[in-house]
Amino acid sequence: MTDPAPTTTRREVRSEIVDGSVLLPVSRRPPLTEYLAQLWQRRHFIRADARARVVSGTRGALLGTAWLVLRPVLDASVYLIIFGLVLKADRGIENFLGYLVIGTFMFQFTARSVSSGAQSVIAGRTLMKAFAFPRASLPIAAVVRETVSYLPVLVAMVCVVLVLPPGPDLSWRWLLVPFVLGLQVLLALGLALLLARPVTRVPDLQHLIGMGTRFWLYGSAVFFSYERFIDHPGILRVIELNPMFQVLDITRDCLLYGVTPHAGAWLTLGLWAVGTCGIGMVVFWRGEDRYGAL
Amino acid sequence: MALSEHFGPDVQVAVDEVHVRYRTASDDAGLRRSLPRWQRAANRVIGREPTVLVRALAGVSLVARAGDAVGIVGLNGSGKSTLLRIIAGLEHPDRGQARARSTPVLLGVNAALLPELSGRQNVHLGCLAMGMTPAQAEAAYPTVVEVAGIGASIHRPMKTYSSGMAARLKFAIAAASEPQILLIDEALATGDAAFRDRSEERMKLLRQNAGCVFLVSHAAKTVEETCTRAIWLHHGRVVTDGPAYEVAQAYRWWAWNLAKGETEKAAGLLEDAFRQGVDTQIVLSPADATHVVPRHARR
Repeated sequence: MTDPAPTTTRREVRSEIVDGSVLLPVSRRPPLTEYLAQLWQRRHFIRADARARVVSGTRGALLGTAWLVLRPVLDASVYLIIFGLVLKADRGIENFLGYLVIGTFMFQFTARSVSSGAQSVIAGRTLMKAFAFPRASLPIAAVVRETVSYLPVLVAMVCVVLVLPPGPDLSWRWLLVPFVLGLQVLLALGLALLLARPVTRVPDLQHLIGMGTRFWLYGSAVFFSYERFIDHPGILRVIELNPMFQVLDITRDCLLYGVTPHAGAWLTLGLWAVGTCGIGMVVFWRGEDRYGAL
Repeated sequence: MALSEHFGPDVQVAVDEVHVRYRTASDDAGLRRSLPRWQRAANRVIGREPTVLVRALAGVSLVARAGDAVGIVGLNGSGKSTLLRIIAGLEHPDRGQARARSTPVLLGVNAALLPELSGRQNVHLGCLAMGMTPAQAEAAYPTVVEVAGIGASIHRPMKTYSSGMAARLKFAIAAASEPQILLIDEALATGDAAFRDRSEERMKLLRQNAGCVFLVSHAAKTVEETCTRAIWLHHGRVVTDGPAYEVAQAYRWWAWNLAKGETEKAAGLLEDAFRQGVDTQIVLSPADATHVVPRHARR
């Protein structure tokens, strides 16, 4: 269309007096405390969204939600068959199957939470176009959703540990495991919030997150133990600073080896979890007014 | 400058000099040729198209008062939907700002909720997203079902709905929160006559409760029938802002001429309408109560 955009014409101006103390900007970013209060108010929405997506993720399969339990059980049986029956390789680790199952199952949760949390804002575009709610609800709901699907995985994991050859080593230390899991969820949430903002801006980063997770996997003693390869105390110290290494180490100590995890391990993990969660929340909140432009 | 002070009903929404620009991909061959050679090669390798800057809104100002039903008319791509998203706070303008007395609720056509879920679950989720408690959402459910009027289909997954049924359900959800400010984007166009009556009833009720309604439509007839006031947008600028009947008539006459290929005449009509229109200027009082520094100055 070629009609001239009438930009030059001078027009009469009508002034409207607007009370700026009553009419507030619609896309203003609320202060952090108010933002957190808004998030708390939307907790029902976060829960409903997470639950709806857990269910709809398995819809279409004949067995439906039963897959939430079946999949980890089948995963575990793969490890049992390959490492327990076929390879019979324990790489010098006591109760290697338990070691392996704890490592892979627990690491998988962190990896899945971080990647789906980071993509949650892009995935939640249609909801964002329809409703105004604090955008941090989306990464939080993603992590809640992964946590809900994580519970059957944990049950499968504990079952494997109970039936494995050396027999269960039940002790009071089993009661410590929920605390490790709490810190693990907090860590995953922090990373999801931290990464959601750059990933929303530059979606290409999704691909890099997958690669970063792979590096992290090998640096967290999921398949093998470090003591065999590394003698240098400095490098060993660096590995002990890795929060996922601590998550796996503490859980194995409690469930498999009957060792009480030392305070340093808890401190490292606790600082990481609380720290990333706090920083992640602030970073995400600072971008709040830019998520709509998708 | 004519300073006409209004002491009428309270202002509900004020849009102050809003500018919006998008950078989007374009496969315009002429544009591609204007790029340097290396950039063309690079774009081809990574499969990217050159981008253009689109001005969606170029300095729009308006106010809406309690009891107003404001229709927004204009051709496709004139910035109508962008304006609604700005008022809803779903998008941040490059310059200027929108202010509102309470949180506006936008009802759009492309606001697909979760297609896998049943209508009932979508009602629940939508109500919670607007900030209701589970108890409130439960209480609102019968009203939503009644307003939507889609019968037993409410229990089916939303992906099996026809576009009309989905629009009805979305309208009913948005109206359930009884928002003071309701923004409707082309939604009524898809409903049948029975639903249109019911939704008009609902809109009237909202306006009586000192609320205001914005209705975007390229069908000027809908605007003429349901609105009290209309705003004609063209290329992201306000052409006229006045009584619904007059504005809609002028717009239809212009659009009709344009469709018939009378480009010259249409251009003249647009020019006339524009000259007769009035620019709105927002004066904040108290002057800098919570005045937000425009984004371009903050960076």
